[in-house]
Amino acid sequence: MPGWTVPLEAYQLVAALLFTIGLIGVLVRRSALIIFMSIELMLNAVNLSFVTFSKQHGQMDGQIFVFFVMSVAAAEVAVGLAILVAIFRSRETANVDDVHLLKG
Amino acid sequence: MLEPILFTLFSIIAIVFAFNVIFRRNAVHCALHLVGVLLALSGMFVLLNAAFIAVIQILIYAGAIMVLFLFVVMLLNVKGDAALLTPGGWKGFGFFFALIIFVELLYVVLSQGGTEGTPAQTTALPPGFGSPAEIGRILYTTWLFPFEVTSILLLIAVIGAVVLAKRKFA
Amino acid sequence: MDLTFLIASAVKVLIVLGFVLLGVPLVVWMERKVIGHMQDRIGPQRVGPFGLLQTIADGIKLFFKEDIIPSGADRVVFIIAPALPVITAFLALAVVPFGDTVNVAGHAIPLQVTDVNIAILWILGTTSMGVYGIVLGGWASNSKYPLLGGLRSSAQMISYELAQGISLVSVIVVTGTLSLASIVQQQEHLWFIAYPTLFVSFVIYLLCGIAETNRAPFDLAEAETELVAGFHTEFSSMKFALYFLAEYANMMVVSGIAISVFFGGWRGPFLPPVVWFLIKLSLFLFFYVWLRATFPRLRYDQLMAFGWKVLLPASLLNLVITALWVGLTG
Repeated sequence: MPGWTVPLEAYQLVAALLFTIGLIGVLVRRSALIIFMSIELMLNAVNLSFVTFSKQHGQMDGQIFVFFVMSVAAAEVAVGLAILVAIFRSRETANVDDVHLLKG
Repeated sequence: MLEPILFTLFSIIAIVFAFNVIFRRNAVHCALHLVGVLLALSGMFVLLNAAFIAVIQILIYAGAIMVLFLFVVMLLNVKGDAALLTPGGWKGFGFFFALIIFVELLYVVLSQGGTEGTPAQTTALPPGFGSPAEIGRILYTTWLFPFEVTSILLLIAVIGAVVLAKRKFA
Repeated sequence: MDLTFLIASAVKVLIVLGFVLLGVPLVVWMERKVIGHMQDRIGPQRVGPFGLLQTIADGIKLFFKEDIIPSGADRVVFIIAPALPVITAFLALAVVPFGDTVNVAGHAIPLQVTDVNIAILWILGTTSMGVYGIVLGGWASNSKYPLLGGLRSSAQMISYELAQGISLVSVIVVTGTLSLASIVQQQEHLWFIAYPTLFVSFVIYLLCGIAETNRAPFDLAEAETELVAGFHTEFSSMKFALYFLAEYANMMVVSGIAISVFFGGWRGPFLPPVVWFLIKLSLFLFFYVWLRATFPRLRYDQLMAFGWKVLLPASLLNLVITALWVGLTG
């Protein structure tokens, strides 16, 4: 029916759900790469929340924040994957349960 | 009329693919499902009048960051870990904790208490909302300092990644 | 969204689809003939007049070939991977204006599938998504050489995306708009190629475009003498045909963008606009083929060094000079 718009709480709900799914991934999976991907999922859920708030208040600051979150996520992924590669090179495993000792 | 259909479609895709990201055993499949989530979110950003952010999401997140993930997954040839739903260790606690967080978030989102001071959504958005011109205008005036700091952060990340990935010639 | 808009859009989509699907065999024929003549031989000449039906014959042969999926290959990804570069190429072609606004039955219809007001960002976004077809094709083959070829190819593509984007940003500084239709509008009196810094932009953009489409002399990752055809080694029959189609469709995308941004789009003195666009497109595709026939291919480290150490600083410097020039002269 024309005129139906989606309430902004629906977007927030989807963001909350995505955040929780990411949180489950971080807490329950054992592979470092999957944990990384779940963190990215959480960051994206937060991005969605920010953009929804930006529309709700009619101000662009929410979208600018998303811009910064994306830049920081890019930097974090680059460095984090470099660390992961370094760990994998010396220990041959990406399972976080196996890297609980400081010395290799 | 079109917006509820598109919203439902994008949110179903995002949630189903997000579940696949955490439940799959093959790391490449997880990464590809994450790319699907990012594209669905990009569609939702377009619905929320954030055109520039939507395209930047495709360009940077889906086009560069996830390609980096895929490279690392393919080069390291990571074996999948045990299936998610087998009991063991602290997994049950993880699910329970996430459920508590979700209930809290639901409360915050659905209660009216957090929305004092926000205008009703019937106010029209200014015409250039979400366009690159608006983003540029605010980014280089109000948010100039965080912008410069982020550029230094990215430089540090590049240097750090190169240093970490170099083989040490001992 | 009224009915005229829907019908007009559907017709334009069919026109673009049809043009690419029918044009690619023609481009392949042109390539084989031109390379043949440049190598002092004739090229295909038996199938149809002047060998024009050669590509059709090759397509029919590919259609009837056995479709092999290697054991141990990831079936779903293996089947989806060839479709990805084609999808992104068509998505990018959706914003290229191929003619002026025509008047059909009283309605003014712009000859562009959609006029997105962030068109250049859209192009950059879809070309970055095109990397997935290559990297997934290489990985899904479950074989050493395709994996290496796919990783090399995609590393090359993401490296040259940067310089490509920055060279287009110099144009945006001059025009102040991201929409391709208005960029073509602004070239009414003088094409952007005539400005000196934008000429440098064009050269950088073209080189990056050639590297993006994995064409010679940047085609190390898929050359037969190197990594056994690289990422598309294990693909046979129509999957290979899709990769082949994607390569030429991407060539058309790069040429279309270069024409719209630097060469005045569909502008030209006497002939109708669409004809001018086709003439310029043909010249660009001929240039691609000419490069392939003339230059030896670059080694991989030479290729990456060129992209990172030469093109990226050059495009950044060019951007700074363009911004200074626009800021000082207004």
